[in-house]
This record gives sequence, C-alpha cells and structure tokens, in this order.
Amino acid sequence: MEMLSGIIDNYYYMVAIILFVIGMYTMLTHANMIKKVIAMNIMDTSVFLMFVAIGYTHGAQAPIIKEGADTIYANPLPGALILTGIVVAVSVTAYALSLIVKIYRYYGTCDYDEICEIRSQE
Amino acid sequence: MGLADHFPALIIVVMFISAFLSPLLYRWAEKVSSYFVTASLLTAFVFSVALLVQVQQSGPVLYYMGGWPPPWGIELRADPLRVYILIVVISVSLWIFLYALRDLKHELKKTVIGWYYSLYSILVGSMAGIALTNDLFNLFVLMEICAISACAIISIKEDRECLEASFKYLILSAMGTGCFLLGVAMLYMATGYLNYSFIQVELAEAIIHYPLNIFTAAALFIAAFGTKAALFPLHVWLPDAHASAPTPSSAMLSGLVIKIYAFALFLMFYQVFPKTMLDTIPLNEIILWMAALGTMFGSIYAMIQTDLKKMLAYSSIGQISYIFMGIGFHHDLALVGGFYHIMVHAVTKALLFMTAGVIIYSTGVRKISDLAGIGRVLPLAMLAFTIGSASMIGIPGTGGLISKWYLALSALEIGRPFFVLVILASSLLNAIYYMPIVINAFMHQEDFQHDVRTVPLFMQVSLLVGMVFIIISGFFSRPVVSLLEQAASLLF
Repeated sequence: MEMLSGIIDNYYYMVAIILFVIGMYTMLTHANMIKKVIAMNIMDTSVFLMFVAIGYTHGAQAPIIKEGADTIYANPLPGALILTGIVVAVSVTAYALSLIVKIYRYYGTCDYDEICEIRSQE
Repeated sequence: MGLADHFPALIIVVMFISAFLSPLLYRWAEKVSSYFVTASLLTAFVFSVALLVQVQQSGPVLYYMGGWPPPWGIELRADPLRVYILIVVISVSLWIFLYALRDLKHELKKTVIGWYYSLYSILVGSMAGIALTNDLFNLFVLMEICAISACAIISIKEDRECLEASFKYLILSAMGTGCFLLGVAMLYMATGYLNYSFIQVELAEAIIHYPLNIFTAAALFIAAFGTKAALFPLHVWLPDAHASAPTPSSAMLSGLVIKIYAFALFLMFYQVFPKTMLDTIPLNEIILWMAALGTMFGSIYAMIQTDLKKMLAYSSIGQISYIFMGIGFHHDLALVGGFYHIMVHAVTKALLFMTAGVIIYSTGVRKISDLAGIGRVLPLAMLAFTIGSASMIGIPGTGGLISKWYLALSALEIGRPFFVLVILASSLLNAIYYMPIVINAFMHQEDFQHDVRTVPLFMQVSLLVGMVFIIISGFFSRPVVSLLEQAASLLF
C-alpha cells in the first residue's frame, strides 16, 4: 500500500520513465529511420519532463520575488536547464534528418532493412 | 586579474573562435585559414602547458565562469589528471591537423574543407571542455557538441558508407546522452546540485536516504559513457564509423574521442560518486569484466577483417578496454597504466590510421591481402606501421609496454593474477593480426602489384613525428608516470 501511494504521489516521474523506455525501445528496434528520430525526440522529451517535474513544488509561484510577501517559489533552475536541453535536441534532430535526406538520395528508401538488402545484393 | 588567471576558459574559447572564423577565412584565402587553425591549436597548446605549470606550482586551479561561484555558476577545474588529458588532446589533435592539411585535399571536395576546419576546431574545443568542466549539465552540453561534430566529420565525406555510419553513430550516441541526462536528473533530485564537488559531499549523506536513485544514476552513467566510449558489448557503431571516415577523422575519433568519454566516466566514479559507494556496490567490477571481454573480442573481430581501416577500428575496441581496465582495478598503479595508455594509444592509433591513409593516398589499396610487398615501395610508411604494431602488442622499447606493465603489476598487487593472463593473451592476439601484415609487407617474394604515387613531405614528416614519439614514450616514461602517480595519490 505504501508503495502504491508512493507511485500515485509521484506519477509524473513514472510517466517520464515509461516514455523514456518507449522512446529507447523504438529507437533501437525500428528499422525506419524517421521513426528512430521521432523516438529519439520522445526519449529526450521524457527526460526534460522529468527534469521540469523535479523543480515543481505544489502551490508554489513563479520565482519572481515580491518584497514582504511570504510565498513559496518553484525551483527555476530545471526550467532554465531544459531550455538549453531543448535547443540541443533540436539541433541533433535537424542533423539526423539532414542525414536521412542524403541517405534517401542514395538508396531511395528510409528503411534500414531495405538498405541492408540493397547493399547485400551488390 | 591577468591573462594567466583565465587559461582554463581561454583554451576552450580559442578553439571556438577558430571554429567560427576558419570557414570565413577559407573563403577568402585558403592558406591563411589553415595557418589560422594551426595557430589556434598552438595557442591552446601553449596555454595548457602553462596551466600545467600553474597546477604543479600551486595545486588545483578553480575557474568560475563569468565570476559566479558554484553552486550557481559553472566551474572549470584543472587538477593534474585533467590537465594531462587536456595536453594529450590538444597536442595529438595539433599533430593530426598537420597531417590533415595535405590528406584532406584528396579525400574531400574543395568547398567543404573550410567547414571541416570548423568542425575540427569545435571537436577539439568540446573535448578540452569535457576534460576541464566541473558541472554535470555543462558536461551534457559539451558531450552533445562533441557528438555532433564527431558525426559531422564522418558524414562530411558524403559517400554512402559514411552517411550510414554517421547516422548509426548519431542514434547510438543520442541514446547515450539521453541516459546520461536521466542520470543527471536522478542525482539532481537527490542532491539539488550540479557541481561535481558539491554533489560528492551531498551524496555521502543522501546515499543513505535515496540509494535506489543513486544506483540507477550509476547504471545509467555506465550505459551512457560505455556506449560513447565503445566499451565491449556497446561498441556496435564504432567499426563502421571509424573505418569509413576520412583518414584524419578516423585518427581523431579512434585516438581521442572515445578516450575522452572513458575519462568522463572515470571522473563520475571518483569526483562525483562518494568514495563509500565504490566500496559497497561493484561498479568497478562490472567495468573490469566488460573490459576483459572487450580486449579479447576486439582482437578476435579484428582478426577476421579484410579491410585495413576496419581492422584498425576493431583493434580500437580492444585497446579502449585496457583504459577501462585501468579504471576498473581501482588501484593507483592501474590508474597510471590506464592513463599512460590513453596517451600511448592516442598516438599509436593515430599513427596507424595515418599510415593507412598514406597507403590509400599513394596506392589506393585498402585490402589487407593486397599489401604484400608494399614495404619495398613505401618503406617509411611501413616502418611507421611496424613501430605502431609493436606498440600495440607491447614490445619492449615502445610506449605500449609501459602501460601494460603497470596494468599487469597492479593486477598482481590486488591479488588477481587472472587479469595478467587476460592482458598477455590479448597481447598475443594483437600480435596475431598485426604481425602478418608487417611480415608480408617486407618479406613477400613478388613485387608490389599497384601503381605508387609519391607521398607528400608533410605526411612523411607527421609519420616520423609519431614514430619518434612512440619510441621516446617507451624509453623515457618517467616524467609522465611521476605526474600520473602524483595525480593518483590525490584520488586514493
């Protein structure tokens, strides 16, 4: 019972981990390159979700300090870090997609299995 | 504050400035661009040597980026070990760059060479950053920069193998960084810090309350850095990527890039996780067994290759395992061996790839079986290959022996003679696939079958530099070893 309530209280962490595993599994097992890139993004996003969730405090406000007011503030650092993380993920995605375009020009397909077949026939 | 206080940041900044200006300069004047990158690498080298002198005189140098002290700001830290890695990275990449100046002209299209200089500078700058940074999130950003530029110097050649190989590399290294960032999130959750030193202090307390978080983080770090450094079962991307790339990229990737991740994992173990943790869970043991398998299988795979560059790439998997062994033994002599091997293997593998590049440049031959009799037409290149192979096997008089000697010594010291056998057996396996090439090249009865172009002077000089260095590192290892012993005494 204690474990169950622990899971329910921290469900956002569970969601992040489930997304992470889905992303990783798809990235490693799917033959389609576009799907691999999408999965890569799911995986990155799940980590970002987890990071942002760490900074969340229930009932807290955005960390803009008002003089004299006695309020709780959310932790701004994870949000700031994740902005950088998103930029990095976008640039990796752009680069991966541009590689796929070039590979498609050589083989006429985005599917890794088909590429292997074409190469083995040569 | 004078210039001397800013060396840690300046080393990285110089390389990034060079990255942004070199394509512009290339457009304007090709020669000037290559001189400019060489000059920036030289500047970075001078700075890092000056940093070593500072560290030797007054202990570890801490540098706060933008003047913000940790835990808020990003901290760079220069201790003897990190400066050692820094100097290895910058001096080896300077040497490879001198070789690349001639080699790139025949491997790449003329228009992209300026961009290659840019990517090369970014790669060197990010590796210097990984060696110096003391902040986990900064490490993540630098790792991504390093990964993208490392993939890009493969795919810049734009033939089919290169594109496919760099896509595979990109996907697997994205998986690596994903795991790493999740690990960072776990540690941040438990401690609330990103700075290595602060985390280490805080974790000693937190490990009692949140052991699972921290163990998960450790497992994720092993997966992340293991993938990026090609630790044995996670090495699948390496052979294609390193074999199909242009020669200077192969030398760079096999020589330096995989090692910098091994070093980052080492920093995680000794500067992020608390000392008690390494005693309670067998992290080192896991690394050690993966490395022991890696030394064997890397060599066995290398034996069945027919392509020269692919063989060298598989051999890298075997050799990186020695470095992981040095980490895994958890002993100061092993550390000396492992870190000496970082330097020796960086030079040796770069030299071997350069030799392969020279052979491809001058004869167009890539297959091992076609190399018979080549020693008589390209004597200098094959002499370099012989000395490189000798260092890989660990024949006395070359640097390879010193690192294996220290590793074996520490295996005996901690009472595990089995690993001495592993080291011996893998040396023999190395001999099995390197020696036939050398013997065939010089002793083959018939003449060499293919046309031969004369090798440019620049390439010959860079081969010569590598050979001389390997011999020197075999006979005069004392200064480096004493530096490493001093560094190890700070850790244990």
